[in-house]
Amino acid sequence: MDLLHGLTYGLAVSLQPGNLAACFVGVFVGTLIGVLPGIGPVATMSLLLPITFTMSPTASIIMMAGIYYGAMYGGSTTSILVNIPGEAASVVTCIDGYQMARQGRAGPALGISAMGSFIAGTFSVVGIMLLAPPLTSIALRFGPPEIFGLLLLGFTMVTYLTAGSKLKAVAMALLGLLLGTVGLDPISARPRFTYGSVTLADGLGLVPIIMGLFGVSEVLLNIGAGVEQEVFETRIRGLLPSREDWKRSAGPIARGSVLGFLLGILPGIGAIIPTFISYALEKRLARQPERFGKGAIEGVAGPEAANNAATGGSMIPLLTIGFAPNVVMAVLLGAFLIHGVQPGPLLIKEHPDIFWGVIASMYVGNAMLLVLNLPLIGLWVQLLRVPYGILFPLILIFCVIGVYSESSNVWDIVVMLAFGVLGLLMKRFGFEAAPLVLAFVLGRMAEESIRQALLMSGGRLSILLTRPLATAFVAAALIVVVLPVALPPVKRLLRTVPVEDVA
Amino acid sequence: MTGRDRLPTAVLLAFGLVALEEARKLRFGSIARPGPGFFPVVLAAAFSLVCLVLLVGAVRGRDEDAPVAARLGWAKIVATMAALFVYALVLEVVGFVAATFALLLFFFRALERQRWPLALAGSLVTALLTYLVFKVWLHVQLPAGPGGG
Repeated sequence: MDLLHGLTYGLAVSLQPGNLAACFVGVFVGTLIGVLPGIGPVATMSLLLPITFTMSPTASIIMMAGIYYGAMYGGSTTSILVNIPGEAASVVTCIDGYQMARQGRAGPALGISAMGSFIAGTFSVVGIMLLAPPLTSIALRFGPPEIFGLLLLGFTMVTYLTAGSKLKAVAMALLGLLLGTVGLDPISARPRFTYGSVTLADGLGLVPIIMGLFGVSEVLLNIGAGVEQEVFETRIRGLLPSREDWKRSAGPIARGSVLGFLLGILPGIGAIIPTFISYALEKRLARQPERFGKGAIEGVAGPEAANNAATGGSMIPLLTIGFAPNVVMAVLLGAFLIHGVQPGPLLIKEHPDIFWGVIASMYVGNAMLLVLNLPLIGLWVQLLRVPYGILFPLILIFCVIGVYSESSNVWDIVVMLAFGVLGLLMKRFGFEAAPLVLAFVLGRMAEESIRQALLMSGGRLSILLTRPLATAFVAAALIVVVLPVALPPVKRLLRTVPVEDVA
Repeated sequence: MTGRDRLPTAVLLAFGLVALEEARKLRFGSIARPGPGFFPVVLAAAFSLVCLVLLVGAVRGRDEDAPVAARLGWAKIVATMAALFVYALVLEVVGFVAATFALLLFFFRALERQRWPLALAGSLVTALLTYLVFKVWLHVQLPAGPGGG
């Protein structure tokens, strides 16, 4: 099936009423939770997972993907108006976005971030369409050693790209892998660390862990610290950026789109790191870098384009290899598996409706978001005035519903609460949750691939170094470790990345 | 700030050693034919080693970089967690609507000091509304409790 044929087929799929509705619900909910600080796409997608049981696989994936890129649009609104990132990938937008709002230019700031997001989102969809099919044919040659090499690269990236202590991130990744071994051994089906508990025999659930680490712990931190959010009190008028604004923003949007997309493909990157690199890049390229931090529109346009393009890029490993490069994609992988669909090289052949339908729905969804966002900004502002004392009980109830409805087991709520406390302590002592969750999700794949690779080679680890693709991944992982030491500028750039990751 | 990392890394190290001891009870197999215990043993050993390095660093007074150090109101956090724990235990006994109503009332009235009428009405409406939306409209599994509601 060639590209054009694929795309028209996908558009036909995504425009079916059910799928169109799923797309709308996804981007709307995504924007909503993007606007609300303290609840991000990871927790929301896990929460809505059980609701998709009754939907078709295509509609489910369309909705889940919509939540992710919808959240990227919504997050900027809160950053600009309240100076609190609505979700973690909009941290950088606070710097110049809020300054613009203080100077009475909230309208153009919101406008350029919506339009920059739209341009970048569309760009990344074209990128997926062009890159995914050829990558699929490479992925078909993957065996256990290649998979393990890729996982090694992923773990290395996610731990080395954290701003905090690398060693703590390594510890958290190992802890995640260890927690992933609870339950039945994937090869021999022997129980491990279950101690006779039925709940543990199934393994710890992904949803309770994510809701605990990203949902409950965030709420606990907020009520413990007593956050007061203050919406910037000004009438927002004139959302359309001026010609001058466009002239300044065109370059940053274009660079942010390419940068975000390419970085998004790499394992362990997510949507946050590209925003920091884009901001640093625009500041370096600017003729008057001193304007940055005082309301430079370039500092909003570039990073907002970058985080949207990255969401598209990160879909590529999932659709072509079946590999989740970050936590959000891990949840999406879960959504695929729940519907009995294995994403990977065979997806495009076995389920062309899902493959092309989801890609085409992202065009549709990006258009919806642009139409939805500009007129609805007033509504989001109202939403931000809801006091946290009313909001947090609702968030907690939603977390409970999400966890219970997935398994109908109250002990999973207890698991969630335990991970909520763990997450709070981790935040308090500077341990990051992202490496833990990613390692937990990929742990089973890692164990199966290394054990199979050892069986294949009769116990020689050198099998990782005798096959070209596997060797390339291991070499890339080594470069990630060595590069920051060898090149101080790279190290400085990475140090600007904040403590929270894909929340 | 010195020594802030000591306690958490010590706890993690202890956890790693217990996990290692437990993992050793599983069949390890050999490198050529790894058994169920192979991966957990390797992981628990590596985890304990990393924690040991972190602990040694912390004891020497060299904390890894500083994270969120805001002062936290622990009383409110503990109250919230305790309420949620009790909620999880009684959820299947009394049903979703009753348990959720009680939990919300506790949050709104005891923690947030809303006035009684407001707290009561808010809790009732929210509990019923979430039940209608999730159970009746979206067909999500929720515990029924006595009398099916």
